[in-house]
Amino acid sequence: MSAVAPTKPPLWRDVRALRVAGQILFAIAVVLVAREIWLNLAYNLQKIGVELGFGFLDRRAGFGIGEGITYSPNDTYRDALLVGLVNTLRVAAPGLVAASLLGLIVGVGRLSPNWLVRKMAQVYVEALRNTPVLMVIVILYVGVILPLPPIGGGFSIPGLFFLSNRGSAVSTVRPEPAFLPWLGFVLVAGAVAWAVWRWRTQVNERTGEPHHRVLYALPAFFVVAVLGGVVVGGPLRLDIATLAEGGFNYEGGFNLSPEYFAVFFGLVLYTSAFIAEIIRGSIQAVSKGQKEAAEAMGLTPFQQLRFVVLPQAMRIAIPPLNSQYLNLTKNSTLGVIVGFPDLGNVAKTAINQSGGASYQIVLILVGSYLVLSLTISFFMNLINRAVTRKGAR
Amino acid sequence: MSGTERELRESQMVLGLEEEVVGATIPDEGLGLRAAPGKEPQTPAEWAKANLFSGPFNSVVTIVAGFVSAWTLYQLFKYVFISADWTILKVNARSYMTGRWPLEQMWRIWLCIYGIGLLAGIARGVLPLRFAISRRRVAGLVPVLGFALLVELYVVDTLLVHALLAGVVAVIGIGVWIGCTFGSAIKGKALLYAWIAAFPLVILVLRFFGGVSERLWGGFMVNLIVAVVAIVASFPIGVLLALGRRGSLPIIRLFSVNVIEIVRGAPLYTLLIFGVFVLPLMLPPGIGKPPNIILAMIVFTLFSSVYVAEIVRGGLQGVHEGQYEAARALGLPVRKIMRLVILPQALRSTIPAMISHFISLFKDTSLLATIAILELLRQARRASAALGFAGKSLEALLPAALLFWIVAFSMARWSQRLEKRLGVGER
Repeated sequence: MSAVAPTKPPLWRDVRALRVAGQILFAIAVVLVAREIWLNLAYNLQKIGVELGFGFLDRRAGFGIGEGITYSPNDTYRDALLVGLVNTLRVAAPGLVAASLLGLIVGVGRLSPNWLVRKMAQVYVEALRNTPVLMVIVILYVGVILPLPPIGGGFSIPGLFFLSNRGSAVSTVRPEPAFLPWLGFVLVAGAVAWAVWRWRTQVNERTGEPHHRVLYALPAFFVVAVLGGVVVGGPLRLDIATLAEGGFNYEGGFNLSPEYFAVFFGLVLYTSAFIAEIIRGSIQAVSKGQKEAAEAMGLTPFQQLRFVVLPQAMRIAIPPLNSQYLNLTKNSTLGVIVGFPDLGNVAKTAINQSGGASYQIVLILVGSYLVLSLTISFFMNLINRAVTRKGAR
Repeated sequence: MSGTERELRESQMVLGLEEEVVGATIPDEGLGLRAAPGKEPQTPAEWAKANLFSGPFNSVVTIVAGFVSAWTLYQLFKYVFISADWTILKVNARSYMTGRWPLEQMWRIWLCIYGIGLLAGIARGVLPLRFAISRRRVAGLVPVLGFALLVELYVVDTLLVHALLAGVVAVIGIGVWIGCTFGSAIKGKALLYAWIAAFPLVILVLRFFGGVSERLWGGFMVNLIVAVVAIVASFPIGVLLALGRRGSLPIIRLFSVNVIEIVRGAPLYTLLIFGVFVLPLMLPPGIGKPPNIILAMIVFTLFSSVYVAEIVRGGLQGVHEGQYEAARALGLPVRKIMRLVILPQALRSTIPAMISHFISLFKDTSLLATIAILELLRQARRASAALGFAGKSLEALLPAALLFWIVAFSMARWSQRLEKRLGVGER
């Protein structure tokens, strides 16, 4: 410590004071700008006769939506936006799964010892990665789905499955009133299957016998679930898809519109190319010695991949995968180009229809996507924690 | 990296000493066992046995994959050269590139292309990014150039445009010659300033002094301009946001974090809706609604800024703590620590990420189609809606897709080479 007593600098040269003052000034500036924007917005909205609040949500929407959960133009704006949100989820949730699987296959294919497979995977990735996703969706729509045969002459397995340029209809099962109590039995079945799984694992660990966990647990699950179904009396009914009278539409079953197909496959193909690159990068990042050790232990190539390389690659892959999942979810708004009524598309219609309740709807939109993103990130973080803990080094 | 080291490195690169290292392609290694390093050259039969028919399973895979790819290629060739009717491309080629831009103003665009071509040529000549002329690369280029020539001969039908296009190639060549010859006289800084000045100059030439109203802009030109405007304008904003987020001032950090996370969480389409419907209402009354393309530029800039901010943040985190401490020990004020020590290192390591961000931003400009701007994608859909082209949607869309693809793909390739050259990741 110096012998000279430190002199306090004057306030206007004191770094700490300057920092506080600077931040206060910044905060004031932000508030002033925000206030100015708000006043402009209020004035401009008043001029075109739009209320400032969210009251419009309860008014009659008055526009139709092509597909989705039950809705009529007489329902409210709130209902319309909800239909859009459900449609977004209908694309995003199965899309995430399909894109991951396809990406995994292509990503492993990129590293295949077979030159031809490697090149094919590379062409797939490079072709899709460098094309705008909007372009992929439009080309699928006008190039693949619309040229499908018309509804009468499309591909079909009567009673099960139809595909034409009007989309597709698949026979499916629908819940009956007894469905809810049956869910309880399904939970019980899950618990039984889990117990069987644990038991087989322990047998395997104790005696070294093959565990056959799947072979034991799956039947256990189905036996309990089916028994439960018999007890509650038919929780599900068959809903068979047929060609409607006149042959211009499908009746019954699970219907998917051509627009849905275009958006779904467009997003899945595009995202899978990125996921493939992530998978490839993470597999290559796993130390070579790991694979060589697995090989030395006599594991088959599939076992090496399944038990040694992929679990370690997963750890590296999850953070970038998360951002690809978020991208897929956000890109589902691009269905607008083929007229798929997702949340973004419905919102745009709602803005026009309501005469300009624009900022409210944009706020709802941004909020909805933030919640979706946070939900996905939350689950990915859970998975991330699980895979990192499992292999604690 | 110290100054002398950097100079040494750059001079080496100018001399092409690193060419061997950079030119060498890293083989696509499979999961299977590879031959040990220093392997003998193989005969084609040996190569095929090792890579295609190494076992019964592999042989079956090769045969199946061979059939699938041969069939796909056959269908593709049949479509492109026999069944497709490319008249729609021939008729619409000009509107694909420039939309409704008036013919008598076309010289403005050519002027810009020539200027940029010359500048690019000079940069190519001066900078160490010269391409190594290996036999393999030439062999790869021949079919590509042949295809380009074929397309040019099919699409262009006036002598003037043929001559102008040939002129572009010539100007780039002249630029490279100038760059190579006077390379030592041209300072890197001067070149940088020329690029920075080129950007507003292009806008000036296109829009002002009797130029064309932005309401008439369209086609691929718009995709390029919006992407470049967004990336240039978002760079300083992104750096500020990143510094704000990394800094120690809580209020500014709160502000930066919120802006970044909210904009990043929203889909670009949502932001475009915001830009078109809400942003004009936020302006003071009396200004009137700006044209959509200006609103789109603002939205793209905002969108790009937060991604640039996250990239720069990554770069900042990569700078070793000791660098801050050393700079502080030298008694540098914070501003100088950032400007002279931290940012140069942080930004250098972000170049590859920046380029890939630019590529995705460029691809995202196709979203302009959703807000009624006649960029390339919308122009293509419009072309197929015209009378006489019913059922030709695919022929209208595929060339547009190819154009996007070529630009994105070549930028990605260039970025990969740059990455190796810059030695990002090594220090």
